[in-house]
This record gives sequence, structure tokens and C-alpha cells, in this order.
Amino acid sequence: MTSRPLPAIDPPPADPVDNTAAEPSLRLEPSRKYPGALIVVEGIDGSGKSTQLYLLKRWLEIGGYRLHFTEWNSSPLVKSATRRGKQRRLLTPTTFSLLHAADFADRCERQILPLLHSGYLVLADRYIYTAFARDVARDCSPRWLRNLYRFAPIPDITFYFRAPLDVAVKRIMSGRPKLKHYEAGMDLNLSLDRAESFRIFQGRILAQYDEMIESDKFVVMDGTLAVNSLQKQMRQMVKARIDLARFAPKKSARRAL
Amino acid sequence: MKAPKTHSKNGRGKKDPVPSGASPRNYGLPLPGLSDEEFGGSLIVIEGMDGSGRSTQISLLTEWLESEGFAVETMGLRRSGLVAKDIDALLAENTITRMTLTLMYATDFYDQLEHRIIPALRSDFVVLADRYFYTLIARAVARGIERDYLNGLYEMALRPDLTFWLNVRPEVAFEREFRKSHAISYWESGRDLSLSDDLFQSFILYQAKIKNEFEALSGRHGFLALDGEASVVSVNNELRKRIASHLGIQRTHYRPSAALANLWR
Repeated sequence: MTSRPLPAIDPPPADPVDNTAAEPSLRLEPSRKYPGALIVVEGIDGSGKSTQLYLLKRWLEIGGYRLHFTEWNSSPLVKSATRRGKQRRLLTPTTFSLLHAADFADRCERQILPLLHSGYLVLADRYIYTAFARDVARDCSPRWLRNLYRFAPIPDITFYFRAPLDVAVKRIMSGRPKLKHYEAGMDLNLSLDRAESFRIFQGRILAQYDEMIESDKFVVMDGTLAVNSLQKQMRQMVKARIDLARFAPKKSARRAL
Repeated sequence: MKAPKTHSKNGRGKKDPVPSGASPRNYGLPLPGLSDEEFGGSLIVIEGMDGSGRSTQISLLTEWLESEGFAVETMGLRRSGLVAKDIDALLAENTITRMTLTLMYATDFYDQLEHRIIPALRSDFVVLADRYFYTLIARAVARGIERDYLNGLYEMALRPDLTFWLNVRPEVAFEREFRKSHAISYWESGRDLSLSDDLFQSFILYQAKIKNEFEALSGRHGFLALDGEASVVSVNNELRKRIASHLGIQRTHYRPSAALANLWR
């Protein structure tokens, strides 16, 4: 039902390298000079963010809007390296962070940016703030991380699903008995008990998310509310902040040009 | 004991002027978990384009240092246990974008730094690096990535004790490489940048860009530039002289063993 075909898998880069220029220039400061829009959800595991983004996506899909959904940690290019690093426990906080940044860069350059430039509404389940929160919880330098992800476009809306640690941990632990090594923060030697380590690690990540609420203009969502009332709030916010008509089929697609 | 001329092994920070905010050991930030740790050893970097004679010199220096009783570890680009194979595969596919490639190389670099170089330095090894992150910066800048971004990316890298730059003209490097392998690599000639359809032209133009960037890096990081077009023997004599002075080796006489004799020309 989309009014325009999906762009090719490997479109030309947004900023082609100008070989004649004396000074190389790849603009790393993100701009919003594209017709698309970017909506992201963030929050610790068990905060309810993925459920809410899924419902938002269904609402927009059913309405026929031109959209693309992307997930953290999903680029096939980098997947084998990440899997090997995790299985063999080769990762340090620095290489853990860099591999995820490489993965994100691949999606950003080949998916997110071209789609934003061609006028898509892009929905992202986790974004760079996941790296900021989690990698700072692993003792990476915030300054280093902010520089690392400087090429990422800034979202139009960042929904931060905030649930108390107990609530979120309980949701995760009741549904998923086996926590993975890095997921539980076992590399940080917080506790020999995996569940306890997970809890401490999630607590650190939660604190880092809270730190970013103002500086990164998060829209804070109360993750303890009922699913449908949260979704209502989310849809209202999207309607208020984003000119959805631009992403609607037919007439508005022409206007965007 | 004669005091070494340029760097003293245990007081490297005092002689080396350091930009504000940076420590004598890194470029501004410590690696996570490495804050105030002291370790010995020496990190010696050899930079230069393909065909500049880096690997020949590293083979000879390794033998010389071992004969002088120093334990040697080496590193190079794309040699990490973590991602070397993945980078090989990505390069072969040609679908990779420059930012992803930059970050995969950074992963490869830091993996070797944390799992190879630092453990070796802790054990008082001499680490010989066949290229360092300087090459990675030069390549990324040639592809349009900002210098500031790259300097920030490598802020946690260790500052080498000595960095040699084997400087050769691209034309000479091309000839040497061609004689050696009868082919020029796609990436080493910067073919992804579409500089020229002609392989030779592309190689020359690309390496000239890299060389420009190295001129800038050389000033910033205090490279010791050597004439890479001189004979293997004279380049090696110069390298040994500098390294001997850094490590406090008195006698610098060296003749390669039979195994390496064919390199000595």
C-alpha cells in the first residue's frame, strides 16, 4: 500500500564523498533536513517499550502510513562477530561498545538514513541511548560514547518507558528463566548470582536513563500503567508532534515532494 | 649507565610533551578498568604504506631484539581474535559502508590493545606494531570522516614510545608491491573511492591522500620519519640505533641469521 517503492538495499550515501574538496567533510552533526521522521522507544528490559512500539506500529500500518521498523542489534553484517564475542566471552566494555556501534552504523547508513531521506516514518526499538545507558553502566566514558555515535540522526520523539526496577525485573524473571552472560552484566563482577547481577546491572542502567531525561528530551512514560492507556498517550503524542499526513498514502506523498 | 637520549624507559611521561587533558600513556582517556595502572615494556610502532618495507624491518628487528634478550610481541591491523575474520569477509563483499568499516577496524584495534598489547607490556615485552591506529585515521579521513571524530575514537589508545614512519613515494611502493605479489589490492588502491578507472592512477591518487594525512599526523604525534626508499640495511641500522638508545642497549651490531639473510640487502 506504500505509495513509493522501497529504496534499493544499498543506495548511495547521504553525503557523497567529494573527492575534489581540499578538506574532507562528512557532516557528523545530525540534522533533520530530511522529509522523514524518527520515533524511538527506550527503557530497561521489562519496561514494556517493545509492546508499546509494536502497538504503535500496528496502528500506523493499519492506517496505511509509510513506515519502517528497526531493532537494535540486528545488522546481519556484524552479527557473527557479536555472537562469537559473546559466546566466547571475548568482549571488554570497549569492544562490546564498538561492536554494537558498528552494527548500528551499518543499519544507520544503509537503512535509517536513506529511509529518512526518502520520506519514511522510522520506528526504532532501542536507539543510541541504549548504548549510552548500558555502556556507561559498564564504565565506558560518556564523552567517548557521545562522540562515537555522533553520526546518528536525532529522533523526533524519544519515548522513555520508565518502570521501577522491581516491576521490570519481575516481568523479565517470570518470563525468561535463563539470563545470558553479558545481558546479566556478569562481566562486571557485580555478583556471582546471575539474577542478582542482572538486578544490579539493570539498576545502573535505569540510573543512566534517568540522567538523560532532560538533556536528551525524553518523553517519560509510566511503565506501570495499563497497556491500552499507555498506547493512547503514545498515539496522542505522535499525532501532536508529527505531521502524520506527510506519511499517509497518496495525496500527502505528492505534497511532500 | 648512560642515560638514553630520547625516552627514558621508566619516565617516558617527563620527556614527552603531552597535550592538556591527556596522560602520558593515552590520548585523553584511560581504557575502562585501566585507570592509574603502571606497566612497563615498550611499544614501538612502524608505519608506512604497503611496499614501504615494514614487515621486512619487523622480522629483522624481532630477531635482533630477541638476540639481545628482549621478549617481543607483534601486532598489526586485522589480526584480532575477535573480528579479523569478519573484516576479511566484509571487505570481500564490498557492501560495507565506510562508517561500519571504520568501527570494525576500531574494534579490531582495541581488541588487540586489550588482549595482546597491554598483557605483553605488563610482562615487560617490547611490542612491535606493524601499523597502528594512525593508518586507520588516514584511511578514514581519505573517505571523508571527520578528524575530530577519529581522534575521539582513538582517545583511549596507548601512546607509543617510538613511532617510525617509513616514507616512500607511491610510485616506488606500487612497483615494489607489484614485483612482490603481481597484483595490487582493491582497498590498498582505494578503488572504493572511484578516484580513477586506472588501477595505477587510483593507487597513486589514493596513496597521495594517505600520505598527506600522514604528514599532518606526523607533526601531531611526533613520528620519526625515515627514508623508506633507502636500502633495507641502512633503514635497519637507523631503526636499531634509535631503538637501542631507547632501550639502553649498548652494542648495536647485528647480522641476520641464515633464515633472514635473504632480506639483508
